[in-house]
Amino acid sequence: MNARALIVWSLAGLVVALSTTNPIYRAIVALVALNILLAWRRPDQDLGFLFRAILFTTIGAVVLNVVVGHLGATVLFSLPDAWPLVGGPWTLESIVYGFNTALGLAAAVLVVAPLSYVIEPHELVDALPQPIERAGIVVAAALNLVPGVGRSFRQVRDAQTMRGWQPAGLRSWSEILVPVALTAVEGSLELAEAMESRAFGSGRRSRYAPSRWTRWDVAIVVASLVSMAIAIWARAAGLAPDWYPYPGLSLPPVSPAMLIASLLPAVAIHR
Amino acid sequence: MTEPLTRLERLSYWYPGDVRALTEIELEVGPGLTLVAGPSGGGKSSLLRLFNGLIPHFHGGRIAGRATVFGHDVLKTPTRDLARDVGFVFQDPEKQVIYGTVEREVAFGLENLGFERAEMTRRVGEALERLGLVELRGRPVATLSGGERQRVAIASVLAMRPRLIILDEPTSELDASGAAAVVAASLDLVESGTAVVIAEHRLDRLGPAAGRLIVVEDGNACERPTGSQAEASAPRRGRSTSAGSIAWSTTDLVVGPSGLPILACHDLAGRTGEVVALTGDNGSGKTTLLRVLAGLLRPIAGSVEREPVRIAYLPQDPGALLHRPTVAAEVAWTLAHAAGSGSGDGAEVHRVLSEFGLAELAERDPRDLSAGERQRAALAVILAGHPRIALLDEPTRGMDGLARRALAGALDRLRAEGCSIVLASHDERLVAEIADHVVTIAAGVATQVGVAGGAAVATDPSPGAATPETRLLQAARP
Repeated sequence: MNARALIVWSLAGLVVALSTTNPIYRAIVALVALNILLAWRRPDQDLGFLFRAILFTTIGAVVLNVVVGHLGATVLFSLPDAWPLVGGPWTLESIVYGFNTALGLAAAVLVVAPLSYVIEPHELVDALPQPIERAGIVVAAALNLVPGVGRSFRQVRDAQTMRGWQPAGLRSWSEILVPVALTAVEGSLELAEAMESRAFGSGRRSRYAPSRWTRWDVAIVVASLVSMAIAIWARAAGLAPDWYPYPGLSLPPVSPAMLIASLLPAVAIHR
Repeated sequence: MTEPLTRLERLSYWYPGDVRALTEIELEVGPGLTLVAGPSGGGKSSLLRLFNGLIPHFHGGRIAGRATVFGHDVLKTPTRDLARDVGFVFQDPEKQVIYGTVEREVAFGLENLGFERAEMTRRVGEALERLGLVELRGRPVATLSGGERQRVAIASVLAMRPRLIILDEPTSELDASGAAAVVAASLDLVESGTAVVIAEHRLDRLGPAAGRLIVVEDGNACERPTGSQAEASAPRRGRSTSAGSIAWSTTDLVVGPSGLPILACHDLAGRTGEVVALTGDNGSGKTTLLRVLAGLLRPIAGSVEREPVRIAYLPQDPGALLHRPTVAAEVAWTLAHAAGSGSGDGAEVHRVLSEFGLAELAERDPRDLSAGERQRAALAVILAGHPRIALLDEPTRGMDGLARRALAGALDRLRAEGCSIVLASHDERLVAEIADHVVTIAAGVATQVGVAGGAAVATDPSPGAATPETRLLQAARP
């Protein structure tokens, strides 16, 4: 998929998912994005971390809201008011509100995730405009060193443990963290040497792989732009009001325009 | 010799902090293959970095004299401009990768020089073909072996069509097969007419030969006939004659990182006063096995039996151990903390440092040492005191002949004290010299073989193992 088309697509998803608090549009955007991820992720990419992160965010949002929220008509049970923070009624509405918050976050994360799971980092760098391309390359190169830091941490901890080191309070960890930091700094200096040696920073760069545009890429961009335009218009025209579960639960309203706006990004499934 | 490509005249260089690295070097380098040798810390890396201007432009410091490369004044031409003419391949294949995939990595230099797309495609294709990487062109670099990565690094500079390619100890991090492939690639460069300068540590394994050889020592460079560096092979060391008691053993052991089995072991054991060597390619599980023996990693199945004694452990990266202001302070820390070792007094620290030839470096910052000196410092740090078991992961990495002898001497001392030693190594000569038993790791299975009465190691050295440097030297012959 063309990286620039995907960036526009992600942007459209963000606009639709975050323009209202309506869970129906958020859910549609999240499902569409999930489809794209599952269908087009790079074969070496494991989505486990992403899903775990979303799960923990959801649990966190629900628990936090229900514990401190205490608003809403449907009371499940009550704790004594004297108890700080947790005291008061625990309500169904605050659970729903927590879920809706998490749904918004999940939709936002899922529409941005293809930028790292579907296309290669260098494709993203290629999509950057010329003036910030160099900065992008430096970031991408630095990311190559990240797995090394994890290995280095394990190695230092092993080596220092065998030398008699034992974890004892915060200060003792300097025995591990200082060598890891020094090794990381040395690694980045070596990388900088390698980049310099291959003429990085000499005049105008050219690009090895220009971004290619297929008809579907164009279709994705058009669909995304239309989707964004509809969402913004619907919002401005008052067709897409926010929805809250408070004071009592109600069904979220559905506007046909917003339904179209949230479904349009699904064009990308065809690629 | 034909017209020199590069010329250094009365060139001296000091690293920042006024640490002298090179002294009044007079040197010309011409076409063909030039070998650069010399002890670790003698100035080889500094000399090589002069050729593409990393010294002085990247490293700073003070410089005097003249350096000319293809008519450019190195002192005035930045590295990125010299990069058109001089390619540089670094020691560590992991720390020179900019892009994630092979093809893009090779194109990186061409992009920086602003080449047209058609020309880039042609050159990248050609470089990949020359290095035998065509099938790997779409692969993420992170999934390649060390030897493959180093070939990618060579292809990356080759695509820029430099007139001179510098390789700074390109094989020191590689296993035997990886090193053989990289040496073959370097020879191919020479045959195609590119000038190549290559630094290599293990000249002591080369045997008599003739050709162009620059020896850099104490910051001085001099030309020697290539045969002169060959050392008489060290006498075979006495093996333990009377078997000690079992210091460690394993039963039905299966090991692997994060619960994934990668290596099954026939029952292994080491006695006091004995050396057991682990051999096998990178990624075969040597480090994992050492970690299990050390008790740092739980076995997936089976068990390790050993007495609760002090174990010394050398990690692959010596930098993992070194962060105090001085080498002496690091050794003193081990003496003070590791159970069962001697006191942290100055005399003991001095004795340990001397054993590894580090007495003069005692007050130096370990992070400023050369790769080989660091490795010696790391060994001194972990072997200080009297460990009963020593587990060493690639102890000769980056070492010159002197350091290897210091290591062999220290291992003899430990062995005489009844220490049981296990070392993982690609260094077949070291293994042949000192191992009582060899554990070969192949196809996920570790098997222990005894070495009968000091006879040859019972395993076939892989074909490329001992030959790369010999082949280089032959190619360097005029």
